[in-house]
Parts: sequence; structure tokens; C-alpha cells
Amino acid sequence: MTRTAFTLEAVEWDPWLAPVEAETATPAQRAALDASPQANSAYFRTLAHDVDSLAERSPLFHSVMYVPRGLKRAERELATVVVSIINGCVYCSSVHARRFAELTKQPEVIRALYDQGLDTALPPRLRAIVDYAAKLTRAPVAMTVADLKPLREVGMDDLEILDLTNAAAMFANANRLMQTLGEPIVPETSS
Amino acid sequence: MAELATGTDLLDAIVGVAPGSALAALRAQRPEILRHSQGSHDVLLSPDDLGGLSLAERALVARLVAELAGHVALTAHYQALVDARGGLPDGPRVAAILAHAERLAIAPGSATRQHLAALQAVGLQARDIVALAQLVAFVAYQVRVAVGLALLAQEKAA
Repeated sequence: MTRTAFTLEAVEWDPWLAPVEAETATPAQRAALDASPQANSAYFRTLAHDVDSLAERSPLFHSVMYVPRGLKRAERELATVVVSIINGCVYCSSVHARRFAELTKQPEVIRALYDQGLDTALPPRLRAIVDYAAKLTRAPVAMTVADLKPLREVGMDDLEILDLTNAAAMFANANRLMQTLGEPIVPETSS
Repeated sequence: MAELATGTDLLDAIVGVAPGSALAALRAQRPEILRHSQGSHDVLLSPDDLGGLSLAERALVARLVAELAGHVALTAHYQALVDARGGLPDGPRVAAILAHAERLAIAPGSATRQHLAALQAVGLQARDIVALAQLVAFVAYQVRVAVGLALLAQEKAA
């Protein structure tokens, strides 16, 4: 996976299994899809094949990303972009990079991560978030209490660290679904 | 022992989050996450309707993903579940399921459309393939939440 595949443009997703169709969905599938971020997307209609797991995952995902208080939404989005870059998930990184850019008006942070890698120069708080999310992705069981120190040094409280953990962990999950049940279609004009 | 008592939160059990502790109070601030993390575990490991993926296969997959991540406590938990469910004979079907689970756990970006065809060739339906991906993805999530919680617990104990 080369870094140049990652984009701030919108990316489509092509499923490898025929998704559940709205006309033939069971009531349970319809309910689970209605509780998902985009009921009509091919991705969620593919997940609807196993309706009980989708019905649990959608509210889990929603709470991890959007529950009030704690870690700022933009910082959760940043963590998910870092995880998606490491795992090579072009689709996930595109969606959440755009959310970060919308929330912060700082697309340059994403461009720097894409073009220069995760070691690019960043303000201390973003640096600490990137490092924690990266290590939790690459080598979770190698982490020690010392890995919390940079987060504490930029002022993070327990709830923020829990939210950061949950967001990074959620994309260990999301990347494994998105990349193994279909593939991204990247627009040719993407930069 | 392997099957958790109703109402038990697996992550609390794995990390050793004591009732009334600061960490329990912290986790309680995110009730939907607690509910649906445990709920995801329950519907993937012990669903009411198994579809085409057996209880033993589900336990084996979870054990493999925890083991590949190197998480000792979760590996032991899922190993106990494998043992309780009687294990499985080796064969092409289990081999195909575990090979796919390993790929998703270690190198999700390397999966291809042909890998799904290989699962269909050993009898998995669309629903089973999705359940398998959800199961691997869930344990990958669970390992990382367990690690993050354990770090907070260690920091408080220091």
C-alpha cells in the first residue's frame, strides 16, 4: 500500500458479496439498516446479511464516535485516520479525513500525514494522539503505562483517554470489515 | 467457567475492573459502549441463530485472533470456550475458516474477492462470511479496548 492511494476525495466502495436489497430485506434487517449511518450504502447492506451483529455494531460505532463530552470529535476522527492509514484502508481514511478537515478546517494536517507519514511534524496534542493510536494499532500488547504519559502531558483526562482508546479500537474493527468484504473505488482525479 | 454468567461484562472480567472502582465509574460514563461491546460479543460468540458457523468454529476463530494479537488473558478465555465446546476435527472447512481469520487479523489489506470464493467453496453462505469478518473485527477491537483499560488500571495502581 503506497501512501499516494490515500485521499481527501470521496471514495466509493464495491462489495464482493451481493448486498441485501431493500425490497427483500427482513424487518430485522430493515431496522438494523435504519439504525446505521447510511441505510442505503452497499457496505451496511452487506453487513445486514448477519443482522444481529450489525444491530449491535451500529449503536456501538455511533457512541464511540459521537457520544458527547470527553475527547473532541475531531480528535476521535484523527485517531481513526491514523489507524486506517496503518491498516491501509483507503475508504475509511477518506471518510474520516474529510470529517476531521470539516471539523477543524485543517486539511493540511491530513495531507501531512498522507504525504510525509505518521512521523510528520505536528502540534504536541495531535502528536500524542497519533502516537497512541498508532501503537495501539501496531503492537497493543507491547504497550505500557509509559504510553499514557504523553497523553497526560498534553492534559488528557481519563475519559478522553478512554474515548481515544475506543475510537482507535473501533477502527481496528472497521478496517477489517471494509477491506475484507469489498474494495474502494478511488476517483481518478483524486490528488 | 467458559460461558460467562448472565450480566457479566467480559472486558471487566479480563482487565479486572472491580465494582465500585474508579475504572468502573469511568466505564459507566459510556453505557452504550458497554452494552453494545458485550452485546457484540454475545451475538458473535453465542448467537441465538447460528447460521452456518458453529459455536465451536466461532470460539476457535476468536481464540486465534486473540492469540495472534498476543493477548494472554483473552486467549485463555477463548481457549476455555473452545474446550467447553468440544473443539473440532481438522479438515478443509476449518482450515479455510482459520486461514481467512488469520489474514483478516494480521493483514486485512491483503484480502481479495477470491478469498471469499474459497470460503463459499467450503460451504459458507454470505451471512456466514459476514459473521466471520465481524467476529475477527470484534476481537481486534476487544483486544485494544482491553489493553487501553489495563493501562489506565496500572496507572492508577502505581
